[in-house]
Amino acid sequence: MIKTSENFRINSPKVVHEMIDGEVVIVNLERGDYYSLVKAGAEIWEGLTKGISRVDIMENMVQRYDASRENIETAIDDLIEKLELEELIIIEKTDESIPLNTTNNQSETKANTEKLSFEIPTLQKYTDMEELLALDPIHEVDEMGWPNAKQDL
Amino acid sequence: MVTNELGNSEKENKTEQQDPVAFFDRVYELYEKAESASGGAVNRFYNIGGFKIRLRFAGDALIPYMTPALAHLETEPFSDPSLTVCLWDSTSTNTIMPPPPWQRNQHHPKRGEIYGFNSDRIHTSFQWGAFALSMLDSDRNLGIYWVETTEQIPYWETGSPLRTIFNVWMNKRGIQLVHAGAVGLPSGGVLLVGKGGSGKSTTALTCLNSELFYASDDYSLIACEPTPTVFSIYNTGKKNADDVDRLPFLAKAITNRDRLSEEKALYFINDHFPEKILTNFPICAVLVPRITGKTDTSLTATSAAAALASLVPSTMIQLPGSGKEACQIMMQVLQQVPCYYLELGTDLAQIPQVIFNLITK
Repeated sequence: MIKTSENFRINSPKVVHEMIDGEVVIVNLERGDYYSLVKAGAEIWEGLTKGISRVDIMENMVQRYDASRENIETAIDDLIEKLELEELIIIEKTDESIPLNTTNNQSETKANTEKLSFEIPTLQKYTDMEELLALDPIHEVDEMGWPNAKQDL
Repeated sequence: MVTNELGNSEKENKTEQQDPVAFFDRVYELYEKAESASGGAVNRFYNIGGFKIRLRFAGDALIPYMTPALAHLETEPFSDPSLTVCLWDSTSTNTIMPPPPWQRNQHHPKRGEIYGFNSDRIHTSFQWGAFALSMLDSDRNLGIYWVETTEQIPYWETGSPLRTIFNVWMNKRGIQLVHAGAVGLPSGGVLLVGKGGSGKSTTALTCLNSELFYASDDYSLIACEPTPTVFSIYNTGKKNADDVDRLPFLAKAITNRDRLSEEKALYFINDHFPEKILTNFPICAVLVPRITGKTDTSLTATSAAAALASLVPSTMIQLPGSGKEACQIMMQVLQQVPCYYLELGTDLAQIPQVIFNLITK
């Protein structure tokens, strides 16, 4: 089901992002996690950063990509769910329907052009950071309350 | 030792105010007591990233731990430091640090920032592993570094001391501490980015045995204005202990040979190759080393995004206080220079030659 009564916003200032050569790099500053999105995923992210609604993003993708409406809708929903799970975006419920914006106009102009092949967007997460921690914070607390190395370390 | 959750008595002790400035002032008072108790300040002076920085020690207990990595940047004394960092330990100065005025778990789970004790002016973090409190008052350009005892300072902290304070202070001046090495010539060089084990250290240290110069192995300072530039901060080299035989010319420089069963080999390059260190140079390219298993070394062009993926995560997770500005400096530098995978071969002599050819072409 398309949820029209939702607004998206990037979870800033905890999240910073930048588009570089068509690839979006995203950093969750609080969690120290790093992500990237390319192709359709980068386009969806760009739409979210502009506050474009889920339905408008989908309409735009349907116009641009060679895939069924159902497949694109599922892919967008899955990506948005992952972005929310990773605390990269915040979904805000609104009572007002979101007006269609210029994205659709752009879609119309592209409707007759050749469509791009559609790859299901994936949120690439760089998980190697955990091992970069020098030590697990396994410690004891001294009589003053300051952490101390475990004696057997 | 108390090993369980904080008891009631400890919680009752945590009645000090929660204002970060007041806490900073309280710790600074204690530093001054520690300094008096140890017979006065021992000062050391450095030029780091083009800034005059004074390290002010309460006694000399911490000096062997905190100064070797910075020795190549030591300068004559000056009276107008841009930043002063006060360093003390409780054990040698007999000056007790009161209990931390925050609850357990009131910190960033990975990097150590203390929630509620950070503001635009004050940075407060506690480093796991080193068990060190780092504070910076940006208004007064005054830092404080405290440990309970030198006995708990791990080798990697000696290899790259005061990372947190330098990172936060430099960042406000458009300079970012990054997890990257740097080698090159005075006319320009390369930034080496990548996580541990990718070949970054091997590349940087191998260049000591060539016509290239060395700025750093593990951490560097970078700036994007007016042009991408790297500054050396630590003259430390680190190498996995099971791999030191590949660099026989460095064998004499290993400082912790008796502890290689549990530590990486640690080198202080300034002690053995002072003429091979450059303090800064323009960044011509960014290289992402990757081990191929082949004999020859080569370059493959890649995107700034790929290089960022090798630089940003490890930098962000290691350095308390790194935020949006840190990301932006890294992104801006990497977008201005070409990026390559450095396909590392087993013939180590080729590595500096490939880099030399790139930066002199």
